[in-house]
Amino acid sequence: MKVLNDFSNIFKRYDLDGEVKGQAKTISKDPIMQEIAKLVIEGDDEEISVVVKKALEVKSPLQVINDALIAGMNEVSRLWADGIYFLPQVILSSDAMSIGIDLCEKAMGKSMDRKGTVITHTAEGDIHDIGQVIVNALLKANGFEVIDLGSDVPVDKVVAACKEYKPAMVTGTALMTTTMTAFPKIAHQLKEAGLPIPFICGGGAVCEEYVTAYDLGIWGKEANQATGMAEDAIAGESWESMRSKWNG
Amino acid sequence: MTPKERIMSVINHREPDRVPCFGANSTVNYDQMEKVQAFWPDGHEKGEIMAKQALAAYTVLGFDAVRVPFCQTFEAAALGCKIKPGITPSGESIPGIEHPPIYKLDDTPVFPDNFLSKARIPELLKAVKILKKELGDEVAIVGGIVGPFSIAGSLLGTIPILKASLRKPEMIRPFLEIGVKAGAALAMALIDAGVDIISCEDMTASPALIAPNTYIEYELEYQTRQLEDISVPKILHICGNVEQIVGYMGHTGADILSIEPATKPQVAREKCGAEIILMGGVDTATTLFMGDSETVKQTCEESIADGIQILAPGCAVAPGTPLENLLTMVEVASKAHLKSIKI
Repeated sequence: MKVLNDFSNIFKRYDLDGEVKGQAKTISKDPIMQEIAKLVIEGDDEEISVVVKKALEVKSPLQVINDALIAGMNEVSRLWADGIYFLPQVILSSDAMSIGIDLCEKAMGKSMDRKGTVITHTAEGDIHDIGQVIVNALLKANGFEVIDLGSDVPVDKVVAACKEYKPAMVTGTALMTTTMTAFPKIAHQLKEAGLPIPFICGGGAVCEEYVTAYDLGIWGKEANQATGMAEDAIAGESWESMRSKWNG
Repeated sequence: MTPKERIMSVINHREPDRVPCFGANSTVNYDQMEKVQAFWPDGHEKGEIMAKQALAAYTVLGFDAVRVPFCQTFEAAALGCKIKPGITPSGESIPGIEHPPIYKLDDTPVFPDNFLSKARIPELLKAVKILKKELGDEVAIVGGIVGPFSIAGSLLGTIPILKASLRKPEMIRPFLEIGVKAGAALAMALIDAGVDIISCEDMTASPALIAPNTYIEYELEYQTRQLEDISVPKILHICGNVEQIVGYMGHTGADILSIEPATKPQVAREKCGAEIILMGGVDTATTLFMGDSETVKQTCEESIADGIQILAPGCAVAPGTPLENLLTMVEVASKAHLKSIKI
């Protein structure tokens, strides 16, 4: 059962008191690609399968991924950054994109080539995996392999995952001041283990002074910085150079 | 003036001898635990220890009110949610809700008949009775409840309720209804046990999580109903920048709005009018936890100048917060006077 059939008001609905106005840009001139992008932007996780399957009859899976699914998600990211979209829309759009990518990968018979691996987690004791959900969505939308450790992740588990996957970058989110104290512990253990992986820390409770007080730490101010940071990390930039670029 | 008289003066729009200072949320830190020899997780679970820790807000910090409890899981636990205890392998912490959530969106949530005798609620009420005996009418006692949307979020899980808020918002209503009942029932029991003020934390209703229109079209009605039968002064706390909904928060029946510095007091005042009392002023992460006492002092003074009438941490205090910073808040408050509210 689909309750929300009419998306024509989707922007109007969240356009409050005329303070924030805006609407999605056209993503593609190709009607079917535009339709897929639109379904991602609208967060429609039902119709998306039908339309992606139809598109795969005439388009290559990679075209559908890059020009429609990811392009649509990037537009969602812009709408969110501009204050037009709120978190629930981003989550629904991310789900729709993932469904589409899964179908394209099946059609390819393999996973899409990823740029590199990023491990994401939310701090131990913190159940607010909200910021991380967005980071995951944006990283996936930009072609990174995301190892999602979820929320309330113990220090040891993050370190063990870094040893196993050797990611280009690791991120930590904490919405509570009570939980961010896990970050310096993780950074310390990674350093001890000879893994100087750039460690992006962000979330409601986390501030620049705190993160830059320990080695490896780079403060992530906004979730949408994650992709630019990941690009730097796979290009081989050290945590020191990333910190001087993104912080301070 | 006694600390309680000081707070009540502000609430009744009379001039207090100085600016009052206390927390709408938990203000426990490790130094206070050491000083009163009461620790977590016991402080979350046992009435005597909880009271001992709460008392430290007055005896150690010099705040004008004490507050129980120190987490947001009491209603959820009594409604059947599985609770992760306030201890982790890395140290003491705040209890949370275990995954997976106990309800799915198309389930019918149940409000148990013996709600007030479930989970840790009896211990919470015991703590209030102990505090009342210790403090009498000198110091205000604040009892915490959780807002309908946040309780519903505990029952359904945060991500599922956020999705539902957009996709099937009508299906959240039965869960919000349970949230109203649970919070209101707890508030009544807390008042019977002796609290002077009810503080409602509604974390999940923040624009950082739900669209402001979801707050306005859904949560507002339930929040108002949850607060309407509460006979004592009411604080409403929503985390983050609430500028887009603060005008509506002012219409819930709350006497006091607790805001974080992300919300400008001037905006809250403009949207809510002169009647609402504004509480807050210090960011718990960047200022209280990370800053030095000079920064805390400066921030507190600016907040009062900007229209904050009750000086408070903007949200729950991190347990690792330096004692000195909390003491600095009281120091500033003790020298500060309220200017009259002009709109």
